[in-house]
Amino acid sequence: MASDFRYFPEGDFSWRAPRPPSVLSIGTQVEVAVLDKPLGDVLEESTPAVVEGLDLRGQQPRAISISTGRDIPIRVRSFKFPQPNEKIVAAVAKKASTNTKRLDTSRGGTRIKPPSDIVKLEDRLGYILQPSLESLLKERSLEFPFHPFPFQFEGIAFLYPRHTAVLADEMGLGKTMQAITAIRLLLRRGEVQTVLLVCPKPLVSNWQREFALWAPEVPTTVIEGEQTKRIWQWQLPDAPVRIANYELLQRDREMFTRRDERGRPTVHFDLVVLDESQRIKNRSSTTSQVARSISRSRNWALTGTPVENSAEDLVGIFEFLSPGFLSPELKPRTMGRAVRDHVLRRTKDIVLEDMPPKLFRDAEMDLSPRQQETYDMAEGEGVLKLTDLGDSASIGHVLELVLRLKQICNFDPASGDSAKVERLEADIEEIARSGQKAIVFSQWVETLQKLDKRLKRFGPLQYHGKIPPKKRDDVITRFREDDDSHVILMSYGAGGVGLNLQFANYVFLFDRWWNPAVEDQAINRAHRIGVSGPVTVTRFLMLNTIEERIDLILREKRELFDIIFSDAKPHGKLGFTQEEIFGLFELKTPGRPIDVAA
Amino acid sequence: MNSSDDNSTLPLGFLTVIEHPAHGLFGGYLVLSQSGRPIEFHCTAPMKSSRAQEILYGPTLKPFLYGEQIGGTLLAKAENAPSAVYTDQEAALAVRDRVSVPVALVLPTNENLAYIDSAAVESANESDTTAGYPRADAAHQGRPKLLTFQLGRNRLALAEEHDDDQPLIAERFGGLAESFDLMEPFGRIREAIAEAQQAVR
Repeated sequence: MASDFRYFPEGDFSWRAPRPPSVLSIGTQVEVAVLDKPLGDVLEESTPAVVEGLDLRGQQPRAISISTGRDIPIRVRSFKFPQPNEKIVAAVAKKASTNTKRLDTSRGGTRIKPPSDIVKLEDRLGYILQPSLESLLKERSLEFPFHPFPFQFEGIAFLYPRHTAVLADEMGLGKTMQAITAIRLLLRRGEVQTVLLVCPKPLVSNWQREFALWAPEVPTTVIEGEQTKRIWQWQLPDAPVRIANYELLQRDREMFTRRDERGRPTVHFDLVVLDESQRIKNRSSTTSQVARSISRSRNWALTGTPVENSAEDLVGIFEFLSPGFLSPELKPRTMGRAVRDHVLRRTKDIVLEDMPPKLFRDAEMDLSPRQQETYDMAEGEGVLKLTDLGDSASIGHVLELVLRLKQICNFDPASGDSAKVERLEADIEEIARSGQKAIVFSQWVETLQKLDKRLKRFGPLQYHGKIPPKKRDDVITRFREDDDSHVILMSYGAGGVGLNLQFANYVFLFDRWWNPAVEDQAINRAHRIGVSGPVTVTRFLMLNTIEERIDLILREKRELFDIIFSDAKPHGKLGFTQEEIFGLFELKTPGRPIDVAA
Repeated sequence: MNSSDDNSTLPLGFLTVIEHPAHGLFGGYLVLSQSGRPIEFHCTAPMKSSRAQEILYGPTLKPFLYGEQIGGTLLAKAENAPSAVYTDQEAALAVRDRVSVPVALVLPTNENLAYIDSAAVESANESDTTAGYPRADAAHQGRPKLLTFQLGRNRLALAEEHDDDQPLIAERFGGLAESFDLMEPFGRIREAIAEAQQAVR
């Protein structure tokens, strides 16, 4: 199109066409911009503008021909993204849920962010350009029985893109649901095809139930039964999710070392998830070794207690997730920084504003006179004996004394006197009057049996190792449904893992466990999502006894945990060292000077 | 680009341009499936107009750069033909002159404010002023007249000369109009461009 560019010194402009073409020639009027200096000056400054045959200096041009040069060269980067494997999607979607709700996405979205170990730009963009997690989950028949909390969406978004992850939420925040939903999403999008879920044996049926609830369309296979059956189950071609317990993993360890004629593992999983992964914290244990031998592409660890006794526990977990990533020599703060992108931990008080609080009331008491007399005698004799043993005194000797003294703190062996029980009776009476329920934990079955007799009028039930496993579910059911049953007596071992007792608003720690992680686990039997009110936790503590000294060390262990998972400054001494155990009685450790707990 | 007769399954195209004060313009074009999953993504290296172009194109410079240069280049790179192209930049509507698919401007609503690049909005509002000088081109300003309409939860606009695109868009997008927020993908493109910039550095 021929065009004309005119400049009138009086500032009067004329134009017609909407925009100039790249080459202007005499004859066509075009749109112009207002200039703040003579056109000649502007054109001299502008390159690659070319003025044909005209010297504009000092001139008043009437018409010129101007070329603006070639189009701007533009470099483009292009990325294509893989689409879901429709066969896998169809296979997983065979079972359709009928009693579910659709997610409400009106609240906006949780975005999936690529973890730092994904370095390829195309892979990172693949996550950044995904729709919100809520939209992904809403797609097609991905329905939910209950609406997840916002922090749970964040947990799912955390797990989904990661090949190495630890979900270390406090007990009761729904790690199971988050893991299952992330697995469900990965399966539906064809990013994984085979998943192995490993958990403690008592939790296998719990995981089956949770999968049926949160991912009803995902078929699950429980590895169990005779060896020939299990070998077949391990090698099933169309089993998206397999569930196995830790003990069985050891028995079938040979499956994970088998190779085909090309040298490839005969058993491989796209994703292995370890529940209660503190089970593999000891790197030299058989469990840990067997877990590490499983051929896998991704691995997650679920645990509410990633650090139970020392930072080495976390090293043990990461030895499975990413061998060599952590070293035992790392300081806690350095370790915390290293694992930051791979570990997600939330606590109830932070993520659930509406969550009723945990109320701690430490019941500090003096021993009854008879208890005091027995205690003093036992401690005196015990320390004397340890002193006599000298360098041949072992941890076992000290622990034997500690346990004996702790038992005296519970009950006087001869008379049965117990300051703790008197206090407990009073508290349970008040709880029963208000129609509520309580859980009482002890590390000894004998103690629980004694409490059963003392608390008879409150309808106590027992749940510990001596209760046959088949009857345990009935105990829980009765505790929940029987209005006359106000207290359940549990051992830390049997009652600590995997149970939901959120209808109990009171927890009593009759005697303390060696590490805070197990205590927290016990407390969280009641303080789970769904609890109807504040959970009151009472920790019994006998003053001027071994319990008080142990309590101090437990506080230090909590600080260790906080250091690794927060920015708090490090404390001086951490953990139950041999020195500290001997130091409970101000004894020298064999062959070394005292290093007493501060 | 490939074409398909089945418009009900065609992907959706999203075109935007980001202006960086130091580096210039970045263009991004994202092709999504109807469920919102990314299929392909194209982005430009930063580019700047020449001084001559700034003078000569005047207020038509933005449509030239956004629509013809950036938009035209990006859409030509894509392998999947979309049912329509959506943009959050009015100047990019000019790409409609170079492609055969409808191009619509996604307008802000109370619902999609979170996805809007407020800096870009301010810049657009400021870009056509020249302090202290009368504008002889005030009647045009290089901007086409727009036809606005509501489609489900989305408020859209078309250049008036392409108003016959409206029934096409209604037909091809109508089934998703209530569930698909057309402003949301632009946030993803901005993040992706920022990520690509970081990767270059």
